[in-house]
Amino acid sequence: MSTAIPSPLATIRATALGYAPRVLQGRGWVLAGLVALPVGLSIVIFTVTRLQGVEGNPGEALKIFHGVLVMMMLPIMALVAAPAGIREDLEQRTLALMLVRPAPAWAMPLGKGLPWFFWGAAWLVIGTLGLQVIGGDPALLPGRLVALVSAWWGELALMTLVGLLFKRGTLWGALYFFIWEPLVRVFPPFLQRLTFTHHIESLAGSRAAEVRANQMLAQEQVTTHPVLACLALLAFGALCWALAGWKLHRTPIGLAGSEAEG
Amino acid sequence: MIVLDRASLRYGPILGLSPTTFELPDGGGITGLLGPNGAGKSSLLQLLSGLLPPSGGDVRVFGQAPFRNPAVLARLGLVPEGDRLPTGLRADRWLRMMGELSGLTGEALNAAVAKALETVGMADRAHLTFTRMSKGMRQRIRLAQALMHGPELLILDEPFNGLDPEARLTLMALLRDLAEKGTRILVSSHILGEIAQLTDRILLLFRGRLLAEGTVTEIRQLLDRHPVELRLTGEAQVLARWAVEQPELAAMRMEEDAVVISVRSPRDILPRLQKAAAEGGIPLRALDPLDLNLDAVFQYLTKDHA
Repeated sequence: MSTAIPSPLATIRATALGYAPRVLQGRGWVLAGLVALPVGLSIVIFTVTRLQGVEGNPGEALKIFHGVLVMMMLPIMALVAAPAGIREDLEQRTLALMLVRPAPAWAMPLGKGLPWFFWGAAWLVIGTLGLQVIGGDPALLPGRLVALVSAWWGELALMTLVGLLFKRGTLWGALYFFIWEPLVRVFPPFLQRLTFTHHIESLAGSRAAEVRANQMLAQEQVTTHPVLACLALLAFGALCWALAGWKLHRTPIGLAGSEAEG
Repeated sequence: MIVLDRASLRYGPILGLSPTTFELPDGGGITGLLGPNGAGKSSLLQLLSGLLPPSGGDVRVFGQAPFRNPAVLARLGLVPEGDRLPTGLRADRWLRMMGELSGLTGEALNAAVAKALETVGMADRAHLTFTRMSKGMRQRIRLAQALMHGPELLILDEPFNGLDPEARLTLMALLRDLAEKGTRILVSSHILGEIAQLTDRILLLFRGRLLAEGTVTEIRQLLDRHPVELRLTGEAQVLARWAVEQPELAAMRMEEDAVVISVRSPRDILPRLQKAAAEGGIPLRALDPLDLNLDAVFQYLTKDHA
């Protein structure tokens, strides 16, 4: 039988469609829950308080967006979803079955990550729309949607790369998200631009007004033009996917899932 | 078809395969790769299937280096060792993906999936997820993924592990059939009997070294040159008297209720021993081969090479 060598696009398509059913299993619903639960809970509390005649605070939606979705749930989603990407095949030792195919290995991390990206992005969109129920500013909605989806693209790609570079990729990712990112408040302008938070806030509106007087080390917040911030997140994600592909292509990975010296 | 020229493989400081040289000619047929666990069989197969590049020397498959080489990978199929398949996927959909990654599309892909499933006898159960399949069924799917693009070279790493006798016979028949149709098959095992049932051409590996290459008969003759230890349990004095009269005896030691003899050509002495015991000539209660396992045999061969 004569077979053609599949193109990178065909490889991405085949891998993405082949692994798409995985997002409808346990890990996929955990991912959905990470967005749906806090937003759903907020809506329930908002509805109950409204029924009791208490006026809702329009600032709540902003707080949940920045404090819960951006700072907590988005990184946790990346930490949950990335190990189910190409890293999963490495750990389950099923990667060999894909690597003995003539398809370009470098396209596989993106192909395997795309179902998780689309699934997570769909839930982030639903969550952001849900925040409108509790008083989200309609003018900020497009910016929030773009910010979350493009940041999700970048964070998932970063975690996929880290998972291929380090054995304890999830640990390094968690350290990055929960130690480096919060330091954005005390970083000088140059370092602020090296965080996801900076670009998300440039796109979705800032919460700088919440910096309190007791935050002595807080630095002046800089902003980037929304278009540039979006492009930066998308380009960073694309770079991480490319590097993950390059790493997989270059690294000899045997049946034991380990590297040989060769 | 396959040329290894002093090809070696290291896992960091550990030597997986010593510099090894051999050739497999074009055309169909089955070659057995025999060796105990840790002999370097999987290392060699990983070099040939392009999963790992050699740490030294040269590996050529279809005239080219196989590592990340699509032109070579399009022409070979691999059934890796173990029972590993992606969790949570349906077999038929996963096979489709594997077919697409092998360059199959459209009707050719549909036909290849259907044919591969039919060949391994899984056409009616391919809709199951891997977690709902038995080990034997999963092994058939693993074979199907290696066959679906019609490879000229099929590499199987310990394919009989964990299979029941019926599944083994089915797989052996399938491999013979493929070989007759022109597929070159390289199959590894640590059990001589399995390989002997499949093929007449054997490569012997031990501790990362290619020890011998030849037909089953040649390998058996090689093994027969070495003494094998047998423990004869019964009246030790009488058994010892019988043993010293045997021309194959190389060494002997007495135990409390047994005698341990070291003999050459055990296949010659065993029928005589059986006959003498049956006729009541010797008071034999039990016979235990102490080192008839493959590990011991390979150790003999290693001493030869040393």
